[in-house]
Amino acid sequence: MTTTTRTVTRPSVPSCHGDGGGEIVRDGRPVVALVGSPNVGKSSVFNTVTGARRSVGNWAGTSVEVGSGSWRSGGLDAAVVDLPGAYSLDPLSPDEELTRDLLVRPDRAELPDVVVVVVSAADLARTLYLAAQVLEQPLRVVLAVTMGDVATRRGIDVDHAALSLALGVPVVAIDPRRGRVDGLAEAVEEALRTPVPARSLRPCGCDCAPGCSCTCCAAGATADAKADPTAGPAGDAAHLAGDAAHPDGGADGLDGDDELAVADRRFARIAAAVEVATSRRGSARADWTDRVDRVATHPVAGPLLFLSVMWAVFQLTTRVAAPVQGFLDDLVSGPVSDGARWLLSAVGLGGSWVEGLVVDGVIAGVGMLLTFVPLMAIMFALLALLEDSGYMARAAVVTDRVMRAVGLPGRAFLPLVVGFGCNVPAVSATRVLPDARQRLLTVLLVPFTSCSARLTVYVLVASTFFGAHAGDVVFGMYVLSIVLVVVAGLLLRTTLLRSLGQEDLVLDLPRYQRPALRLLGAVTWTRLSAFLRTAGGIIVATVVVVWALSAIQIGERAQEPVRSSAYGRLSTAIAPVFTPAGFGDWHAAGALTVGFVAKEAVVSSWAQTYATAEPADLHQPGGLGASLRGDFERSSGGHTTAAVLAFLVFLLGYTPCAATLAAQRREIGGRWTLVGVGLQLGLAWSVAVAVFQVGRLIA
Amino acid sequence: MVTLASAPFGVPLLLEQAALPAPRRLRLAELGLRPGATVTVLRRTAGGGRIVGVGDARVAVARAVLQQVTAVHAAAPAEKG
Repeated sequence: MTTTTRTVTRPSVPSCHGDGGGEIVRDGRPVVALVGSPNVGKSSVFNTVTGARRSVGNWAGTSVEVGSGSWRSGGLDAAVVDLPGAYSLDPLSPDEELTRDLLVRPDRAELPDVVVVVVSAADLARTLYLAAQVLEQPLRVVLAVTMGDVATRRGIDVDHAALSLALGVPVVAIDPRRGRVDGLAEAVEEALRTPVPARSLRPCGCDCAPGCSCTCCAAGATADAKADPTAGPAGDAAHLAGDAAHPDGGADGLDGDDELAVADRRFARIAAAVEVATSRRGSARADWTDRVDRVATHPVAGPLLFLSVMWAVFQLTTRVAAPVQGFLDDLVSGPVSDGARWLLSAVGLGGSWVEGLVVDGVIAGVGMLLTFVPLMAIMFALLALLEDSGYMARAAVVTDRVMRAVGLPGRAFLPLVVGFGCNVPAVSATRVLPDARQRLLTVLLVPFTSCSARLTVYVLVASTFFGAHAGDVVFGMYVLSIVLVVVAGLLLRTTLLRSLGQEDLVLDLPRYQRPALRLLGAVTWTRLSAFLRTAGGIIVATVVVVWALSAIQIGERAQEPVRSSAYGRLSTAIAPVFTPAGFGDWHAAGALTVGFVAKEAVVSSWAQTYATAEPADLHQPGGLGASLRGDFERSSGGHTTAAVLAFLVFLLGYTPCAATLAAQRREIGGRWTLVGVGLQLGLAWSVAVAVFQVGRLIA
Repeated sequence: MVTLASAPFGVPLLLEQAALPAPRRLRLAELGLRPGATVTVLRRTAGGGRIVGVGDARVAVARAVLQQVTAVHAAAPAEKG
């Protein structure tokens, strides 16, 4: 096994127009594709065989793009691609379409060399449907059966040899959640040594007479599909898309009833295989998943539990991390900064511009980010715990009504939940939605979900101004985030997006499972390291730009040199925009301007500008806080609390970062992205002004 | 014959048909909700839908969908015509 990765697929970018597709780019090694229904552990298999750390979760939509990596084990050296989860090769959403397009292709050279279909022993009949369709393609197939332990606990025994015999494919039992994939590489190696099947049994539901010339019969009659371009996958592609040549088909080819008849035969074949390959001890009975669901999906208790869980997540995040944050803050602003100054003095750079850049810029900015590492780690771990346990699917059910109020299905909640971690993958995750207009609306709403980068600012500001109630304020920001999603959704639905499609909730609920510590650790580390890589790069770049702009003096030198710098002049010019919201101060305006690039840089730019303006402050713990308190009090005319709340509201609502804009442009195009930016700025400013003005009257 | 939206909770039902567009019928079938399957409506959900049990699997389904799916009591013979 190896952690080496290289690109072996080049999926085209699925857009709101549903043009998802892709192609496998070969590098000389065999290509192994992993496919499976949602919740069968497919991404866990990918992570285990490649050593990669792809995001995993016990809910549909975890993988919405093609992941790729290398699989080296024994004699196997293959490129492996992880395709989005799909219930079948009859796609209802762009992510499923991507999987279908990579497995059903007219040109065999573009097909993967082996397809590993991952199925669940605990839910064999349902998860075998995709396998049955894949088996109809001219593909080498290996069946990987997961969740044997869950099946055993529920009294289901799977006879893997019998299953293999019934389906005519090699079957391997694995446990990827515990890193056990013994025998899978050998089975793939063995499959690679066998010829590609010309075609497999197709349960054509056409009742064709002998000699029928329809495409599927012609394809089925051809022994060597390579010799006949209409045979094999071309025939199947026609079948899956609708076969206009078929005499029983309507004007558009196979109608729905024909497809359902074909599906019925597949189900019958699966049922027969499951019958001979499984045995059951006792009868199905309510287990703890059902008992928990009585509360988790209850009309009243369900939403209360959801709010309680989210509240607990943010309380734990802020309270547990606070002492460690304080320690790291002291460490960076004390010994680390002092050590850097001593080193620079030792090489003759003490008091120079280099010291200003390194100590007040890079160390102050990156150090501030590092103090948030414990906080981010705790939040990522808790969200991973919820995802891996299976709770997130229940959250989608209880929020279905709220989502429907803005014209979205409950499933749209899933990408929005991802947005609470980071908006960029959330925008991609909208591909689980089948309706193009609903995807468009969801992409436009994702920026209103409060990403983890914003959390760093909330915590700093809330700790500075609200002391022991900081956790409540942070939780309130997340509740407000949901409110903003609803408000923005209603605005869009009643103005620009009046004709939304309607897709009612149909959601598979995975069984609850005990989260695996190994997976939780891996997912937490993946997200944390990605955050640090992105944030670190952005912060260093921003710090350098802000430092350079701060060094350029424009016009008469002010008492505070930064204020008369290019950075200060620009920030001062923008500041009046925020005067009605109570934070028309150039420090705040500058930080928010930098935050347009990335929220990770807001705190660092504050630290940097205050350090440059008041160098002594960062030598003492709480120096930044004292500066913030002073400026907010001045800019708000004494209504500090109202101004701080307005600032937090604006920070929550306005454009999250440049990367999210790029992701939005990829999914919905430049015009709608600009509409989104206008909506974010307009809504954020309006609500912030309202919060300050009302707060000023109340206080 | 009842629709799943009006079916009593906890009673095994034999699913008859779903008057839905073909892609939706197919997706329900892929999730186990297909004609001939024995299902049980387990409970009401927060959104007004139902949790439907199909064997060991659980599917959350909106009320509007369930109103289009008909079933008979599993013990009783299916109505003809």
